[in-house]
Amino acid sequence: MRNISSVLGKLARVVSMSLVLLFAVATLHAQDVKEGEKIFKAKCTSCHKVDRKVVGPALKGITETKSEEWLIKWIKNSQALIASGDKDAIAIFEEYNKSVMTSFTDLSDDQIRSVLAYIKAESVEKPKDATNPGETAKDDNANLFMIFGLLGIVVLAIVVIVVLNRVIRTLERVIATNQAAVEAEEEPKTSKKFLAFAQGFVKNKKLVGFAVLMLVALLAVGGWKTMWNVGVHTGYQPVQPIKFSHQLHAGINKIECQYCHGGAFKSKNASIPSANVCMNCHNTITGSEHYDGETSPEIAKIYRALDWNPETRTYGNNPKPIQWVRIHNLPDFAYFNHSQHVTVAGVECQTCHGPIETMEEVYQYSPLTMKWCVDCHKATDVKSDNKYYEDLIKAHESIKKGEKMTAAMIGGLECGKCHY
Amino acid sequence: MIENMLVMNKKNLLVTVCAALSLTAVVSSCGDKTTRSTGWEFSRNMYDPIAYNPDQPNENFKNKQTAQTPPKGTDPIGFTRFEYANTLEDYERAGREFTNPLEVSQARLEKGQALFTTYCAVCHGPEGKGDGSITKDREITDSKGTRKLENFPNPPSYHKTDGASSSRGGMMADLTDGKIYHTIYYGHNSMGSHASQLSPEERWEVVMYVHELQKK
Repeated sequence: MRNISSVLGKLARVVSMSLVLLFAVATLHAQDVKEGEKIFKAKCTSCHKVDRKVVGPALKGITETKSEEWLIKWIKNSQALIASGDKDAIAIFEEYNKSVMTSFTDLSDDQIRSVLAYIKAESVEKPKDATNPGETAKDDNANLFMIFGLLGIVVLAIVVIVVLNRVIRTLERVIATNQAAVEAEEEPKTSKKFLAFAQGFVKNKKLVGFAVLMLVALLAVGGWKTMWNVGVHTGYQPVQPIKFSHQLHAGINKIECQYCHGGAFKSKNASIPSANVCMNCHNTITGSEHYDGETSPEIAKIYRALDWNPETRTYGNNPKPIQWVRIHNLPDFAYFNHSQHVTVAGVECQTCHGPIETMEEVYQYSPLTMKWCVDCHKATDVKSDNKYYEDLIKAHESIKKGEKMTAAMIGGLECGKCHY
Repeated sequence: MIENMLVMNKKNLLVTVCAALSLTAVVSSCGDKTTRSTGWEFSRNMYDPIAYNPDQPNENFKNKQTAQTPPKGTDPIGFTRFEYANTLEDYERAGREFTNPLEVSQARLEKGQALFTTYCAVCHGPEGKGDGSITKDREITDSKGTRKLENFPNPPSYHKTDGASSSRGGMMADLTDGKIYHTIYYGHNSMGSHASQLSPEERWEVVMYVHELQKK
């Protein structure tokens, strides 16, 4: 008995010890992954993604194809590895157009192992899909709801038709029984009544006059209102070739207007950004998270316009311009300069363009009529602390002193003064 | 006679009901309550320019665009060429010999900061810590529903105290005039070229301001 109990006791101790050890190992591993994630996000994400090639290669499954020892050497100093004549290292260097990977000599072997552990954990198909079925189920539910709704409408329509048929049939019967009476009395009576009313109306000249007056007034008001809105495009919201959302870019991402529309600060035109400006972000941002790993169809339009191949990350030589639809259009006889208003006067973009940072699809906010311009010009104080007024005051003073001044001295030789 | 009329009425009624139903279905699905047309216009030709607008299609050119890229090897008047290629060697060379011709002044620094806020802070953060608005978790609610937006990878911080290393060697806090200018001009890694958005003078003002951030 004693023996058995002591053996059992030992066994229990061994089992509990190993359990504790196992637990410790597991938590250590989890910590590795967590620490690795931290380092990966701090040092690697500017060039690497696990599932997609960005500046550097995709790292999915890298721990399977390359040895840990090799990876540690490469991460610490890739150039030294290349110089040592390692074939794999040279092949990668050549494939990525000899772009040098940062040397991370400050990382310890253990830290690099944690990063590798993180990459390994990320390489395994994520249980992320567990959330997706929920979403698709929701979608299915929505679809089912739609189908049942439509079926309901069809059933309702059939019921209505059947009921109407019944009503018509009973009405037929009723009419058939009362045929003579109905025909003889009712019909002529109504038409006679109407005729009498019309005759009375025409004879009453005051009433006729009033009716005509009302009609003329109605047409005049309608006509007046329509005329005022001829050529005024307030609310104009054309369909653009790319569904670019200002709400997303200017509102949520907080990208300044000037980043894309720099022309508004420097020239007459606010300027539509050329597609290379889009690529400053969209060489990395593809929206693939929402399209099952594929590039978002709207972003793909930029790639097509530039003939950019996201796989090889190179530009082809067959670009096609994006034909945006102009929304704000002043008549050609009216001169408007953006920089004059934005840079000199300091007018906010929103003053004329409305809550642009909330517009998913842009529409014309202001009427752009002459009255609209004049109203603002009457109310706005001039900012006089700029070179134009300095020059003006200088010119006035020299005239007062009786100095000689030619047209050329006050800008009379500028091309734009004569040539349009 | 009336019998006939009723039969006709019955048919008409059915047809009308069906037509009305389908019409409402079609119309209600089509209209999205937006103004897709400019409305009535008077003398449209007064709106259209006589001379070509730069962003207008143009049949006179092979690529059908009014705005043409300058022929290869030519420079616009007043244009200064950047004589360094987009290679690691020239990046290092620019770092050694290409220096800011502008004198540091409060006005220049303020302009540099304004330009940095507009063109760089979206990724690099207003303080250059690499925590710009598009590197953070964001969520949007629009016609496509509520969804998370992809984060742009964090660039390394400029601050001396953060001790971040540059991918082309050395610390971010030790980047020289020419290196920063070279990166603005050509871009590097996830950063695109900002040469079309910043004039040479503006690039130098940004470089000036970045040096201020490196001291932090």
